[in-house]
Amino acid sequence: MTDTIVSLSHVDMTFNVGRSNATVALKKINLDIAAGEFISLIGPSGCGKSTLLRLVGDLLQPTGGAIVVNGKSARQARLDQDYGMVFQAPVLLEWRSILKNIMLPMELRGLSRQEQEQRAHELLQLVELEGFARHYPWQLSGGMQQRAAIARALAIQPRLLLMDEPFGALDEMTRERMNIELQKIWQQTGTTVIFVTHSIAEAVFLSTRIVVMSARPGEILHVTEVDLPTPRTLDTREHPHFFELETDVREWLRRAKGYPVV
Amino acid sequence: MKAIQRNLPAIILFVAVLLLWEGAVAFFAIQRFLLPSPSVIAAAFTGNIDRLIHIGWFTTKEALGGFAIGCSTGILVALATARWTVASETLMPFAIAANSVPIIAFAPILNNWFGVDNPFSKMMIVAVIVFFPMMINTVRGLTAVDPMMLELMRSYGAGEGAILRKVRLPNALPYMFSAFKVAATLSMIGAVVSEYFGGNRSALGVFITQEAAQFRFQNAWSAIIVACMIGLTFYLVVLLIERLTIPWHSSVRNAQSN
Repeated sequence: MTDTIVSLSHVDMTFNVGRSNATVALKKINLDIAAGEFISLIGPSGCGKSTLLRLVGDLLQPTGGAIVVNGKSARQARLDQDYGMVFQAPVLLEWRSILKNIMLPMELRGLSRQEQEQRAHELLQLVELEGFARHYPWQLSGGMQQRAAIARALAIQPRLLLMDEPFGALDEMTRERMNIELQKIWQQTGTTVIFVTHSIAEAVFLSTRIVVMSARPGEILHVTEVDLPTPRTLDTREHPHFFELETDVREWLRRAKGYPVV
Repeated sequence: MKAIQRNLPAIILFVAVLLLWEGAVAFFAIQRFLLPSPSVIAAAFTGNIDRLIHIGWFTTKEALGGFAIGCSTGILVALATARWTVASETLMPFAIAANSVPIIAFAPILNNWFGVDNPFSKMMIVAVIVFFPMMINTVRGLTAVDPMMLELMRSYGAGEGAILRKVRLPNALPYMFSAFKVAATLSMIGAVVSEYFGGNRSALGVFITQEAAQFRFQNAWSAIIVACMIGLTFYLVVLLIERLTIPWHSSVRNAQSN
């Protein structure tokens, strides 16, 4: 018995194999993620963070190595709806109300209509969108749409949540609020999160571990353990250790980009 | 009340054009066979109303029949080709080329195939005319899907069937309604013009050509007005169904907030 939920061993990813424009995106990725962890992937643009996330979700298939998700192949885990995914954009279906958007994954799973609606209302409460069940996506702000997308990802009670820069398009204030909410949701649901981000502060605030990746071809350069007390609050950002961790990640990121470390 | 206020400029323009037309015909003493005045056309309209309703309905049935046949085959072919990328990539250039061909030129041939008196020959012309815009738009709607939506569906383990029902078809609806609107107008034009090449005596297009041939232009004009009214009604019905079916789409939202 192990509580490892994602296991990547010697994973390689090359796009356009055998062609002149072949690109090595990821090289020799080894990473084990335990259930309940909050892992952030951070690195320079184009380092393959999103690719790595898509490999775990079986939206892409690796050219080498093995990926085990929830004790099975990544493909089987996808077909079993073992994970929920949140993208940079909310990707809500514009012809469905917010409630119906959240019901979508449960529909695909074949839950009863009553069950779908009940669970969707609970989720709306969790992401604080109770009054917006009958609204359409365009009637909501960007932050609210992204909260609806998170609710949808949680609809099937996944053991794993894959998040690809979910707050990248939001303004700073909204982003900070979303960070606090996401942390609350993570603690309430006990789900494992793999979180792609560009923001060092966001990564330190949310994570249990931060994976710093090098520029292409993406390799794991360093893993920073975040030993800040939980739950994290607005005061956490004022904590002296918060700054130490930020500095540590920033230095590894500078190394990743090939800048001199000051 | 608000609707009247909003459309007031259009109403004023319409009345002004009619008055100007009436005045110009009287002032320049324009001969009736060149341009009858609105009042003469109105008299011909009310005088022939029973016959106009009869022939108008006859041609409407041809247009509706052709619309139904053309649109349904267009949608079916689109569904079949969009499912297989190779098929749609092979067929689409031909469909786009065929869409710019003046299909009405084939009217005499289709009359010959199905019988000049048979309303079915006119339905087939209408069907061929509306088929291409319908098919092209539906294929676009089925294939122009946000790639992230496809990724989202796959992340839930959804197969092609579920993706078609829950993403591709709803995504295609706005495209299909643009095609329905075009097809509504085209089907009335197609039906009347194909009747110019001969057809049943109780058809609108046949009536227009015969009355014109006998210099009863006021009667031809009154029938043209009937054709316009039918075409406009057809278009407005489709517009109404569009608003009820896809209230979420930006084109409908914007139209309603204006």
